[in-house]
Amino acid sequence: MEWNKTYHRRKICIIFFSVVLMSMVLCGRLVYLMLFEGKYYETQAKDLQQRERKIKAARGKILDRNGVVLADNKSVCTISVIHNQIKEPEAVIAMLVKELGIPEEKVRKRVEKYSSLEKIKSNVDKETGNRILAYGYAGVKVDEDYKRNYPYDTLASKVLGFTGGDNQGIIGLESVYDKYLEGTDGLILTTTDARGVEVDNIGEERKEPVAGNNLRTSLDANIQMFAMQAANKAYIQKEADSVSIIVMNPSDGAVMAMVDYPEFHLNEPFQLIEEYKEYEGTKKEQEYCNRMWRNQCINDTYEPGSTFKVITAAAALEEGVVSLEDRFHCPGYIVVEDRRIRCHKTTGHGAESFVEGIENSCNPVFINVGLRIGADHFYDYFEQFGLLHKTGIDLPGEASTIMHKREKIGLVELATISFGQSFQITPIQLATTVSSIINGGNRVTPHVGMQVENGDKKVIKTFDFPAQEGICREETSEKMRFLLEKVVSEGGGNKAYIEGYEIGGKTATSQTLPRSAHKYISSFLGFAPADDPKVLVLVIIRNPSGIYYGGTIAAPVAKEIFENILPYLELEQ
Amino acid sequence: MPKRRRGEKKTTYFDYNLLFIIIFLLCFGLVMLYSSSSYTSANKYGDSAHYLKLQARNIAIGLVFMFYFAKKDYHVWRKFGRLAYWGALGFCFVVLAKVPGLTRSSHGQSRWIQVGPIGFQPSELAKIAIIIYLAMLIERIPKQLDKVSSMAKVGIRLVPLVLFVAVNNLSTAIIILGIAVCMLFVASPKYKEFFVVAVLGVLFIFAFINIASYRSDRVEAWKHPETAGDKGYQTMQALYAIGSGKLFGKGLGQSLQKLGNVPEAQNDMIFSIICEELGLFGAVCVILLFVLMLWRMMVIANNAKDLYGALLVTGIMSHIAIQVVLNIAVVTNTIPNTGVILPFISYGGTSLVFLMAEMGLALSVSKGIRLDTIE
Repeated sequence: MEWNKTYHRRKICIIFFSVVLMSMVLCGRLVYLMLFEGKYYETQAKDLQQRERKIKAARGKILDRNGVVLADNKSVCTISVIHNQIKEPEAVIAMLVKELGIPEEKVRKRVEKYSSLEKIKSNVDKETGNRILAYGYAGVKVDEDYKRNYPYDTLASKVLGFTGGDNQGIIGLESVYDKYLEGTDGLILTTTDARGVEVDNIGEERKEPVAGNNLRTSLDANIQMFAMQAANKAYIQKEADSVSIIVMNPSDGAVMAMVDYPEFHLNEPFQLIEEYKEYEGTKKEQEYCNRMWRNQCINDTYEPGSTFKVITAAAALEEGVVSLEDRFHCPGYIVVEDRRIRCHKTTGHGAESFVEGIENSCNPVFINVGLRIGADHFYDYFEQFGLLHKTGIDLPGEASTIMHKREKIGLVELATISFGQSFQITPIQLATTVSSIINGGNRVTPHVGMQVENGDKKVIKTFDFPAQEGICREETSEKMRFLLEKVVSEGGGNKAYIEGYEIGGKTATSQTLPRSAHKYISSFLGFAPADDPKVLVLVIIRNPSGIYYGGTIAAPVAKEIFENILPYLELEQ
Repeated sequence: MPKRRRGEKKTTYFDYNLLFIIIFLLCFGLVMLYSSSSYTSANKYGDSAHYLKLQARNIAIGLVFMFYFAKKDYHVWRKFGRLAYWGALGFCFVVLAKVPGLTRSSHGQSRWIQVGPIGFQPSELAKIAIIIYLAMLIERIPKQLDKVSSMAKVGIRLVPLVLFVAVNNLSTAIIILGIAVCMLFVASPKYKEFFVVAVLGVLFIFAFINIASYRSDRVEAWKHPETAGDKGYQTMQALYAIGSGKLFGKGLGQSLQKLGNVPEAQNDMIFSIICEELGLFGAVCVILLFVLMLWRMMVIANNAKDLYGALLVTGIMSHIAIQVVLNIAVVTNTIPNTGVILPFISYGGTSLVFLMAEMGLALSVSKGIRLDTIE
């Protein structure tokens, strides 16, 4: 049967051309997917096809002001296994047990676990890593890694801080300057199939790690060591709970040493120190770890006691309510409202000038002066001297000042504030405020970090710690330096006197709360040279046994430090 | 223009162009099949040529069928129209009833007839059956197709088979419907009605997609494959492969997505591996090759000696066209995911053998063309 109906043919053509049209649409879709979206899908696909292994970046070093290395890295290895690539599981298990000294069942569990990359052990030393590599078993990976290493172990442990398993800083400078120190991890990208098995003959892609930058600090390893030795000695001799020492430059707030003895071992930061050993393995272990890491120079407040008279005196001079020649009389006590507040010398100092009053650390004199200033104005000086705010030191966890509310300060409170009681500040706050008063009136920001350098010692960033000028007059500052020099040369601070040096200072003995426990904190704050302070030392001995007077036990510690560091700093006699 | 070869004695024609395209596609298919399956089959069966060997066997069987159908005068099949229809219906019923000992399941759906070593998918048989049956039916009543009622009568006869197939293989049912609509469209002088049917068909598909719950998941996976989790996994992997291809591809054998990421890359999703390895250039070439094949079929259909032959080729042509378009649309996530293979290239025995039988049929029709009538 013949057929030649044209419409049949036309319709066949219509079918064909609509298919052509659809093909063109699909081609358009392909162009869109492959050319315009190609980059996106390709990246996604790569993500899926490649297994990443991190190459840890070397963490930057922490250096002291002279470039002495306080924290660096040790090359170690991380051993891991890739389940799918292990060909001789028994041999691998036996080898790992032998080389790493891990119990067999533990290794077996990890080797037999179905995962793309299972870590067996990290921080394996390099020789062991090389030996494991030499066996040449398939599926065993040895990755080079770094472990933080602190050459001096306990030195400045609470200031430096340590790092955790992922190389992240946990406390101290390691945590504050983490972003400069950490560097950028590199990657090894290996192409794998859907099961995670590496595909042969496709090379690895490497992204090289970028080492972290070095942090140069204002610490001086030698001064820190002198201070730690002095603290250690006092700690043992006085059977104290702890000894804190801050050495700083009063003119710019740079901390040269900060000791909070007992220090802990930075290379084993999770091992309790000898003093706390009894809590190891108990529920309190973590609590004592935290206590061990606590930097009491910054994290804890205390009643400063008589060292605070420096600030009372400065406020009074600034206010103009007292002159150096003013005469006072101390009968051994003073009555404020209904309270009778005793002087530490119960028989009384008798008639004395203001200069003698500060030499004697006479409470009635300072209460008298404090009352002259008045509660409201005294509170203003707290504000003006910066005592109500944190110092802003570049270490974590600084505690705030614990102070009365302005409207709650009555005469009794005012009297106790005048000789440094009934409120609390941190040691660093005291050191910073006194520094600011004696340096001419510039409220400095205490700091440890100075600058960030790269591996070639090129400075990348210099930290700026602003100072607030004019918190007191230069004249007041000068008088304070004179007064405090007198305290050491003729007054209660004479145990810190060093022949040939002009040292200023003030002692303190404060009772901790509750008063009934009869626990004391002895302290001494000194600086040298008295007329142009270059170094300030604060010594705090907590709960010493036996004699607890600051002038008797804390001042000699400071003296010992001065004897060591003044020649070291080449400060002239 | 009559073609003249070797003097002017030879008056019959044979479409060598089509034969060449078929052979080329088969060979290309084998290469791509080996490329996409060798890695996974080496892991699974310890033999990288596992699928290659099976497909080569399928092609060998298919070639036998193709040459048999090509040699045979296609008019013979007129007598087998009804038999093919009822046969397909019967097999589909067997599968549907899951007659023990005769059926087997694969991928969670029972789609196979299995008798001893011989197994095949009756839904594939249904496609060729519907072509033979409809060609016979329409050829008998060409004049009546002017009327909508008689077209409907023809259509009604298809309903049982389409439904039987649709129960566990929606995509094949859609293909069968598509083939039937194309053949009726060619046979009938009407236009408007078909336009209405097309619109209704589209609406029906949308409705069906939204009603059947497991297919709605597919719709979700189609719209947002990245967030659809497991449902969108295959689609995403295919898109990754396609996107990685760029203009000229990674080179033959260089696909990474075939390493188990695109599940069973040698099956429905083989086009994505073609894209990854041969790039946009290769993918468009493959599409062009199919368009070329369809063009040859159009030429054969337009010059067929009789309406029966023209209808057979129209059916075959629409079959291939629908499968190619659907497959590529699925792989590029242009439409929701549904299992349609890429003719001649994807792995699969039944479909290949029946496809090659259809090719034989088309060649047989081309043989009937008288050279002096070619336009």
